[in-house]
Amino acid sequence: MKFVDEYRDAELGRALAAEILTTIEPGRHYKVMEVCGGHTHTIYKYGVDDLLPENVELVHGPGCPVCVIPMGRVDDAIAVAHEDGVIFTCFGDMMRVPGGKGTLLDAKAQGADIRMVYSPLDALRIAREHPERHVVFFAVGFETTAPSTALTLMRAKAEGIPNFSVFCNHVTIVPPLRALLESPDLRLDGFIGPGHVCTVVGARPFSFIPADYGKPIVISGFEPLDLLQSVHMVLRQLADGRAEVENQYKRVVPEEGNVHALRVLQEVFELRPHFEWRGLGFISSSGLKLSDRYADFDAELRFEVPGVRVADPKACQCGEVLKGVIKPWECKVFGTACTPERPIGTCMVSSEGACAAYYNYGRFARERVVV
Amino acid sequence: MSLDAAHCITCSDEGVPMTVTAVRPGAIALCGTDVEVMVDLVEPVEPGDVLLVHAGVAIARVES
Amino acid sequence: MATESWTEEHVLGLIERVKAKPLRFRDEQITMAHGAGGKATLTLIEGLLGPAFGMTEFADAGTLGDLAVTTDSFVVKPIRFPGGSIGELAVNGTVNDLAVSGARPLALTLSLVLEEGLSTEDLTAEVDAIAAAARAAGVAIIAGDTKVVERGRCDSMYVTTTGIGRTDARARLSPSALVPGDRILVSGPIGEHGVAIMLARGEFELDAEVESDTRSLWPAVDALLDAAGESLRCIRDATRGGVASVVNELARSSGVAIVVREADVPIPPAVSGACEILGIDPMYVANEGKLVAFVAPEGAEAALSALRGVPGCEAAVDIGEVKTEPAGMVLVETAFGGRRVMDLLVGDPLPRIC
Repeated sequence: MKFVDEYRDAELGRALAAEILTTIEPGRHYKVMEVCGGHTHTIYKYGVDDLLPENVELVHGPGCPVCVIPMGRVDDAIAVAHEDGVIFTCFGDMMRVPGGKGTLLDAKAQGADIRMVYSPLDALRIAREHPERHVVFFAVGFETTAPSTALTLMRAKAEGIPNFSVFCNHVTIVPPLRALLESPDLRLDGFIGPGHVCTVVGARPFSFIPADYGKPIVISGFEPLDLLQSVHMVLRQLADGRAEVENQYKRVVPEEGNVHALRVLQEVFELRPHFEWRGLGFISSSGLKLSDRYADFDAELRFEVPGVRVADPKACQCGEVLKGVIKPWECKVFGTACTPERPIGTCMVSSEGACAAYYNYGRFARERVVV
Repeated sequence: MSLDAAHCITCSDEGVPMTVTAVRPGAIALCGTDVEVMVDLVEPVEPGDVLLVHAGVAIARVES
Repeated sequence: MATESWTEEHVLGLIERVKAKPLRFRDEQITMAHGAGGKATLTLIEGLLGPAFGMTEFADAGTLGDLAVTTDSFVVKPIRFPGGSIGELAVNGTVNDLAVSGARPLALTLSLVLEEGLSTEDLTAEVDAIAAAARAAGVAIIAGDTKVVERGRCDSMYVTTTGIGRTDARARLSPSALVPGDRILVSGPIGEHGVAIMLARGEFELDAEVESDTRSLWPAVDALLDAAGESLRCIRDATRGGVASVVNELARSSGVAIVVREADVPIPPAVSGACEILGIDPMYVANEGKLVAFVAPEGAEAALSALRGVPGCEAAVDIGEVKTEPAGMVLVETAFGGRRVMDLLVGDPLPRIC
């Protein structure tokens, strides 16, 4: 595929790696956070880390909208799925997230009608095909995914579909980043920005990072060369004493984002005053719920949900991993009590979570150059 | 699109390039022979256009 | 908070010790993951079935004197797909388990569970496919059984075959025989069967044709035994769970490390494209006509030449080697120049693939 192959070229990779070596100060340690689970995935899949010198450390941030769903919300989802006549639909990755009493996959094995879909449109189609049942869609994701839910709801409303609703758990990316930056134990030099979130919201929402905190941020594509180039651009900014928002993913991301998408989001959603993030606690204005205009499609209004807050297990150190304060292997339960098959916390739940990625792919990295 | 329950399409923020084969009414494009994609955000589209698709919606065009 | 002794090596060592412990089956119910050929399947076999039947070795075939016996059930959905059907899989799958155990396939038994309402046309098509595949593989069908269940209880049909073969004198194969320095050969391009099934299910679209690679591997094994019998450590067919599962099982059984060179693994562009869309690594995708051979270095060249001379294996290639550390693990040298771990599957990316 032409679109991707040229961004995976090993020779170009080596050339960029050499450039990076010349850009950094010997003896200085750099910590660059990449926020987006997709970037974590690329780094491990291609071993991009191995091409960087030891003093440039990539820290994985809270870019996992599925794994930050608190256990209590998963329990709520399971409760709705067990309601009479409900067909509960969700993305595949949501099925394995543990709630207080098991996962959606377990609920499915116990007889709840839970179906995996690839897009909310599939869920709407099921609703049309089964007028005698009620279809609920478990909506998760950042600003990249919210437009999909919004557009589906607009279609449902226009068609007057009576048997479809959404259990909304969309979250936004800027508030947790701000929360991280406000955190006293955090020491980051720069950021790699989420490429596809920016396709929707543009680059401007991230200008607070250089403006308020003096740190560079480079919005990156998802191929290994994109990442290496973005790391280089961050290091270049640091070497030059600059702090700006740069767009490495220009081939896809427009500076101002997608105006239609933003309009659609405003029409269908509004911000919750606060939302709980697993591992990070309550963050203001970080979660979306359906606006009053779409109240008929709000699963939380239609069904009684337990709404019980389930505290994270005491042993769980996900919060510290998410903030980049500790590495996955430094968590006391990593790899022993907490494994990909039996995850305790969010970082291990999704294969893009920092702990799962490290456990699955990163355990035996190459020897790296020290500069 | 992902069938692997361990691969997170939202967490990985993935965008899959897909080619439009037909345009349907109601801002839907057909990619391949039966993948329906909402194209409200990138209209107008025509057969042959390559779109970046995430969770059933085209979030951008791919310039070739 | 990290303490002085809590170094990375310490934690990784802890993980390896936990992983090396015998698997205990603690799940409360069966999920689709148990059928995927990955971690859950292994836990079920080694943690529940093995102890119950007093089995400690889990090879592709059991032995009784110089006879090898193996059995397999086929629950593939849909029953017909590009390149083949359930009948062909049922013959070739079992023939191949015998072949890679170093046994010449002689005969099969055939059990059919049929769904009420299955048309005679569909049934005849499968019966003919089974007969043709058996003839091509040189095996006789010598016993069998037929049952019928109500509509909706078995998706047209389930097929079980038990294979009997005679262990070839040239074979000295064992999954614990690998030593550092051994080479790893694969007999051809990977990922075709799994992708063909997904295409047949109509769950996504692709512009290219992909067909199942189902075929008997006995000719390839025969050639290998001839050219490199002494140097051949072990052969496996890369079915459920793909090449990744095979190398993981062998690394574990032999207590060695395996390094796979991603750039050398042959993957057809159509399979690559499909896996990209599906979000799966082709190394985990099922094959029904590919083997992985582990050969001592002195026999590797002869083995490769011999393989390439067998129809269907012209693209056989060396994809990696066996090392000492880290024991029990598989590492991939990525085409991009980095390195990553390739573990056993956890979930079930492609259910009911064979």
